[in-house]
Amino acid sequence: MSFRLIVQVLVNGVLFGTTYGIAAVGLSLIFGTMRIIFLAQGAFIIFFAYISYWLLTLLGIDPYLSLLIVIPVSLLLGSAFYYGIFKEAAAIEDKNISLLLAVGLMYLVENIMLVVWSPDPRSVVTPYTTLVFRPWGIVVPFTRLTALFIAILAAVCVFIFLKRTLIGTAVRAASEDMVSTTLMGINPNWVNAVAFAIGIGLAGVAGVTLATIYPFDPSYGFVFAIKALIALALGGIGNVYGALLGGIMLGLIESLGSFYIGGGWADAISYGVFLLVLVFRPQGLFGGSIKKA
Amino acid sequence: MIDRILLYIKDKRHVNIYITFLGVLIFAIIPLFTDVESSYFIYFLFLTFVHIVIAQGWNLVAGYAGQISLGQNAFFGLGAYTTALIWLHDITKTGYYFDPVVMILSGLVPVVLAIIIGIPLLSRLRGDYFAFGTLGVGQIIIVVFLKARHITGGADGLHIPSTVYESMMPYYYTGLLLAFFAIAVVYFITRSRIGLAMRAIKEDEMSAASHGVYILKYKVLAFAAGAFLTGIAGSLYAYYLFHINPDSVLNMNWLFYPILMCVLGGTGTIMGPVIGALFMTALFSFGDVYFAQMHPIISGVLIILVMKFMPNGIIGLKDKIFSRG
Repeated sequence: MSFRLIVQVLVNGVLFGTTYGIAAVGLSLIFGTMRIIFLAQGAFIIFFAYISYWLLTLLGIDPYLSLLIVIPVSLLLGSAFYYGIFKEAAAIEDKNISLLLAVGLMYLVENIMLVVWSPDPRSVVTPYTTLVFRPWGIVVPFTRLTALFIAILAAVCVFIFLKRTLIGTAVRAASEDMVSTTLMGINPNWVNAVAFAIGIGLAGVAGVTLATIYPFDPSYGFVFAIKALIALALGGIGNVYGALLGGIMLGLIESLGSFYIGGGWADAISYGVFLLVLVFRPQGLFGGSIKKA
Repeated sequence: MIDRILLYIKDKRHVNIYITFLGVLIFAIIPLFTDVESSYFIYFLFLTFVHIVIAQGWNLVAGYAGQISLGQNAFFGLGAYTTALIWLHDITKTGYYFDPVVMILSGLVPVVLAIIIGIPLLSRLRGDYFAFGTLGVGQIIIVVFLKARHITGGADGLHIPSTVYESMMPYYYTGLLLAFFAIAVVYFITRSRIGLAMRAIKEDEMSAASHGVYILKYKVLAFAAGAFLTGIAGSLYAYYLFHINPDSVLNMNWLFYPILMCVLGGTGTIMGPVIGALFMTALFSFGDVYFAQMHPIISGVLIILVMKFMPNGIIGLKDKIFSRG
């Protein structure tokens, strides 16, 4: 019985963690080319959760089907934000300006959501919301399992894109060394815009899957941004593959923490782990060499 | 002798001093001409003074030493809670209402936290790593204050006896004094060797270190001094609120407001945060009256527009105009 309970806790951790993971992959990509942590990521995740909520309640579109609308929209929105807001700041050596722009954007999106959707929590309710599988007595809700698959699928797509396409290679090269990449004839704005588009695109994926699992409200975006940031730090800032693993690890830490110590403290534990990692292993738990930031 | 004084007065470098003294003088006599107890204007100025203090706290660490702190709300809340706890537990055995001992202690507690977290965070990390570390600390403080129910009262918080309230007068003058103190602290720190070291660190940390600047010491100093100012502002605000809970004093707004005000007015300048605080408080107060829900949206748009079009703030605008003209 107790063994089954431990397995249940671990399974919950992995299922929670993948959503953090894909949000962190987005952060990691943007960090790679722009050298900033895009703090507004969490606000966008919740924003897309609301979009999926609207698509369901106003138009009756199933949340998983709404991904077909949300992903292209979020990709476009991402590049539009880059060209509209971050383009000039990206060229400036002082990264604090870009960081503060992200803070401003986060504040803006969060408060727009407060006005449009009010601070009351909303949830996406579908016929399969309460559907649960019980393999070997372990409880696996259908929506969480689907979220896991979608997250893995999205991450694999991004990895293939980065490895196999010319644009993806350019993005990876820019994360290694922006100056040399520019000298090779690659337009830095273009690479940044691609990274931004994928980052916001992943926020769209994370938002829709989140909407099917939890009730959400506008203030949750900031919490989620910090969770993604912790996942990123665990995986090693700038390490795209580590980010996904970091998310899963964070999920495990949270679920073990709330199991052994109690619900409210889980957050404090994950922040504590975050601080310890930042101080003692800034290259992340999986990274080899220290990457200068 | 008189020649010397005249020379001193004519020196353009001292223009900030005159503006400050003139400002303090004007603000000091305003209550003589207004109905202090019911005037919204007095409340507005009080709020502006609090904002000036926290803005200068952030200005010191971010504007001069170049370290973006995202944990200022923790210092503000800690200052407010310290005041309430000392009062409720009768710790210092002094009068508690506007007691300078309590207020200074409320500034020192955040300093202790700043030093404890500042040494590991500032020695290992650079740039945005420090920002996220402080962000994490802010969140931990919120969780701890919510969870340590038997000390902090959890989500409901603490109530300090509001029966002592008599007049808005002490709030106004303490606020004015603190704002003046904050400006003076930033002025004297930045005009000294310490300030020179801070600016060297902001420009190029490596180069500063190789020229013999002990960077950790100055970064922690800036962070701690900023925490002190923020904590004292929290203490003053606690006297005004009488009901201290995480929602009111650990709110993320206490992190965003100082950033917003500094950025808008001009970070790394003496007068920038003051102008920013005046402008933003006016905007918020105006917004609260006429379009209550919208003003956070406007401030978000403002941060983006200011960072995009005038990264040096309102103060920077002056240089821009003069260099073109």
